[in-house]
Amino acid sequence: MVRAALDSRQIGRGPSAFAAYVPAATVVAASLLAALPIVSNSGWYPDFGYLVFIGWRLLRSDPWPAWWAAPLGLVNDLFTSYPIGFSVALWSATMLALDLIDRRTMWRDYWIEWVLAAVFLAIDEWMQWQLAAVVGADLPFTTQLPSLVIAILVFPLAAWIVSRTDRWRLGR
Amino acid sequence: MAAARPGWSRRAQYGLFFSLLAVIAGIVVGLVLLAMSLVAPKTFDGIRGAALDITGPIASALHEVTATANGLVGGAGNYWDAARQNAELKRENKAMLQRMVEAKAIVQENRQLKATLQLRERTENVIAVGRIVGSSFNSPRRFAILSVGAKDGVQIGMPVRSPDGLVGRVIDAGILASRVLLVSDRANIVPARLLRGGIPVISQGRGDGTIDVRPLEVGRNPFKRGDIIITSGTGGLYPPLVPIARVVKLDDDGAVALPLADPANTSFALVQPSYEPAAVAAETAPAQDAP
Repeated sequence: MVRAALDSRQIGRGPSAFAAYVPAATVVAASLLAALPIVSNSGWYPDFGYLVFIGWRLLRSDPWPAWWAAPLGLVNDLFTSYPIGFSVALWSATMLALDLIDRRTMWRDYWIEWVLAAVFLAIDEWMQWQLAAVVGADLPFTTQLPSLVIAILVFPLAAWIVSRTDRWRLGR
Repeated sequence: MAAARPGWSRRAQYGLFFSLLAVIAGIVVGLVLLAMSLVAPKTFDGIRGAALDITGPIASALHEVTATANGLVGGAGNYWDAARQNAELKRENKAMLQRMVEAKAIVQENRQLKATLQLRERTENVIAVGRIVGSSFNSPRRFAILSVGAKDGVQIGMPVRSPDGLVGRVIDAGILASRVLLVSDRANIVPARLLRGGIPVISQGRGDGTIDVRPLEVGRNPFKRGDIIITSGTGGLYPPLVPIARVVKLDDDGAVALPLADPANTSFALVQPSYEPAAVAAETAPAQDAP
């Protein structure tokens, strides 16, 4: 252990200068993925911003001050053509719900985190489907299932990227 | 924030409490904004347009790169299969020549008929020509991002078509880019008719890149596989006689059709003025679709 601590790469490296803002910046970057020039006839791609958002929140309880969820959600709404206010409300509610869940759970492991993420992603898809129906696009929910399955399968990748970014920002 | 008591520090306790209030405020603000964007979608036209001006140019620039890469791959593929393609093209060319002569004769006849009827042709001018550079690939709605905006004269409500057929209509217009509601979106209902026989039908997207077509009059299913659906111009939003889709599958009381203008492969999209602006203003004002 001591030898590892004396490894020359480790000494003198602290958190990077903007460590406090890195998590929020990565969420905005993920929302901006909506500007990729992908022209798809099916909405099967995941909600990248939300994936990274819950990835950070499941990794740490305080990646950003809780109220930042609202402006981050607004950015996501603007870039992804969701009805404005959808991600604002959903992301704030996610912060609140995960805090309540944190009080109840006795232990956490990868499986529990994945199940939690799956539940939140399902709520996300379900609400998008409901809102689409409200504005006149009432589709059967089965059309949302492929996109939900893809999002759940992609979550571990998002969580891995988030944890690597976390190690980088803290200089570990 | 809603975690267990952080200890005896009053400061820490208040901090947690206020952050809890802030999150609840965030939820409330979000719900209010959401209600506004559902009830009065025009409220956010400005801010949506501004966001489009950020993402539109990024998508345009990236689109150039992917289009070049795709072109290289596709070009190589064409060389690979050149002999067979050549034979096929020759055969098609011969068939087309015959059809062209027939069409020319029909055009001539049509002109004479119109002259006798004293019909005045409506000028089909084009407001702007853009490329489809992005889409709503992570949503149940079907939108596309077009690389032209208010700077080029694009306004909300204008129909968009490609040389192949109808693409949709503009629902958000930024200065540099605009968002198009595709014909394959569930909320996009286009008054149409069958090219064969002119039976009036309604076309409605299915959200997965295909279109539902239903006859206006209940009764016998008038569709056949391969039928072409064209716009009827009813309602004044879309110009008439623009091809929309080709029927690929019949079901109980209608059919499933595939749009002729595939947004993924459409190189250019033309923005046209609203067919009958007065009618459109009256019709779309209350029923403007929220994105």
